[in-house]
Amino acid sequence: MMTKKKVFVDTSLCTGCKACSVACKAWNDLEAEKTQLITSYQSQASTTYNTWTYISMHEKYENGKMEWLMFKHQCYHCAEPSCLKACPVQAIYKTESGYTLIDHEKCIGCGYCVANCPWSVPKTNPELKKTFKCTGCIDRVENGIKPACVYTCQPGALHFGEPAEIEALAQTRLAEVKKDHPKAQLYGDNAMGGTTYLYLLLEDPEFYGLPVNPTVSSSLVVWKDWVQPYGIWLIPLAAAAAVGSFFTTRIINNANKSKGGDLHA
Amino acid sequence: MLKERVLRFSGSARFAHWGHTITFLVLLFTGLTLFTPALGRVLTPLFGSHVTASSIHKVMAVFFTIIPLIALVINFKGFVEWWKDVFSFGANDIKFLMVFPLEFFGFHVEIPPQSKFNGGEKMNSVVTTTSCVLLALSGYVMWFKDAFPAGLVQWCYPIHGICMILATCMVCMHAYLGSFHPGSGESFWGMWKGTVRSDWAAHHHAKWYNEVTKS
Repeated sequence: MMTKKKVFVDTSLCTGCKACSVACKAWNDLEAEKTQLITSYQSQASTTYNTWTYISMHEKYENGKMEWLMFKHQCYHCAEPSCLKACPVQAIYKTESGYTLIDHEKCIGCGYCVANCPWSVPKTNPELKKTFKCTGCIDRVENGIKPACVYTCQPGALHFGEPAEIEALAQTRLAEVKKDHPKAQLYGDNAMGGTTYLYLLLEDPEFYGLPVNPTVSSSLVVWKDWVQPYGIWLIPLAAAAAVGSFFTTRIINNANKSKGGDLHA
Repeated sequence: MLKERVLRFSGSARFAHWGHTITFLVLLFTGLTLFTPALGRVLTPLFGSHVTASSIHKVMAVFFTIIPLIALVINFKGFVEWWKDVFSFGANDIKFLMVFPLEFFGFHVEIPPQSKFNGGEKMNSVVTTTSCVLLALSGYVMWFKDAFPAGLVQWCYPIHGICMILATCMVCMHAYLGSFHPGSGESFWGMWKGTVRSDWAAHHHAKWYNEVTKS
C-alpha cells in the first residue's frame, strides 16, 4: 500500500528558472505553447491543459531595492477537493498517496471542476472535451521515483517525501527564513482539508494573488449538499400530488354523483 | 346548440407557450444528465453521450431564450395585459389560494370571481417566469464562464439547479391542472385553439368574462 506523500515548495530558494515547467512537459508529454511576457520575466498567465505547472514572479520593492518572490503553481492535491465535489460524473478521485486525479475515461470536459477550484488549476481541452491538470506524477511516485518537477529542481526548492519529514523540514525552513522575512508563513496546510503541496511563502498569500484561506465555497455546499440530495425530491412530490389529485377528484365526484350532486366542470 | 366561444390566448401567446413547453422539456432531460451521477447513468444513453446531450442543451437554450422574446415583440400589448393582471393581486386571489388546496383534491369549495388569471395562475406566472429568466441568465454565465468572475459562475450552478426544480414542480402542477384535473375543463383549449366556451369563462373567470363581454 502506498502511504501519503507530501511536496514542500520552498519559494525562498526558487530562482524562477522554470525547469520544473519544462521537466513536467517532458515527462507528461505535453505540447509546448506559444508564450508571451505576462509581467516581470513571467511567461505564463495560468495553468493550461498543456501546462500543468508554471512559475509566477512577483517583484517586491522595499527601501529602493527589488526582490523577486517566486511562486510555483500546480494542482495542490487537496485532502477535500472542491473539484471532486463538483464533478457530476464522479471522474475525480483520491489516491492512497493523497493525490487528486481525473479519470479521463469518465471525464466529459464539462468544466464544473474548473469553475470550482479555488486556484482555477484544472483546464478543459475544448477539442478533446477532457479536463487536464497536474497528476503529481503519480506514475513516477507509485514506482518510487520523485515527481519530475521535484527531481529537476536545481536550487533545491522542491522536496518530496513522507508527511512528517516534509512538515518538519517546512518548520525548520520557516524559522530560518523568518529572520529576513518576518511575514514568512506556511501555506496549504489549512486549505481544503490540507494540501499535498505545502508552501513556504515570504509574504502574505495576497501578495502572490492567492486566496488566504480557501475552503469549499458556500455555493458548492448549497448545490451539492442541499439542492442535489434534497431539493430534487420536490419534483416527484409535485408529480405525486398531481397523481393523487387525479384519483381523489374522481372518487369525490363519483360519491357526489351517487348522492345526486352534479359534476363540477 | 353551438356554444359561444371567447378568445383567451392570442396566437403569439400560444406560440410562446408551446415553444417553451418543448424547449423546456428537452432542456430538462438533457440537463438532468449532469444533475446527479445516478440520473446521468439513466438519462445519458437516451442522447448517446454527454457531449451530444450538452450540444442539444445549448441549441435548445437559444430557442428557449428567443421564443418568448419573439412573442414579446409581436404582441407587447398582450404581454403588458398579462403582467398587469398578475400584479393586480387582490383579496379574491388570496381567497382563491386559501381554498384551492381543497378544490385541487376534489372537494367542492366556493371560489370568489376571478380575473383572466386566477390566484394560482398568477403565482404560476411569477414563479415560472422568474425561474425561466434566472435559468437562462445563469445558463449563459456557465456557458461563457471565462467572461464572468469566478464567484458569480460558482453561484450559477446552485441557482440553475434551484430554478430547474421550482420550474419543474410548477410544470408538473400546471400540466396536470391544464389537462386531467376535472375543474380544468376548457382551459386546455384556451391554450390550444385560443378560445374557450363562454359559459366556462363566465363560471371560472367571471371578472374577466364580464370585462370582455362588456366591450
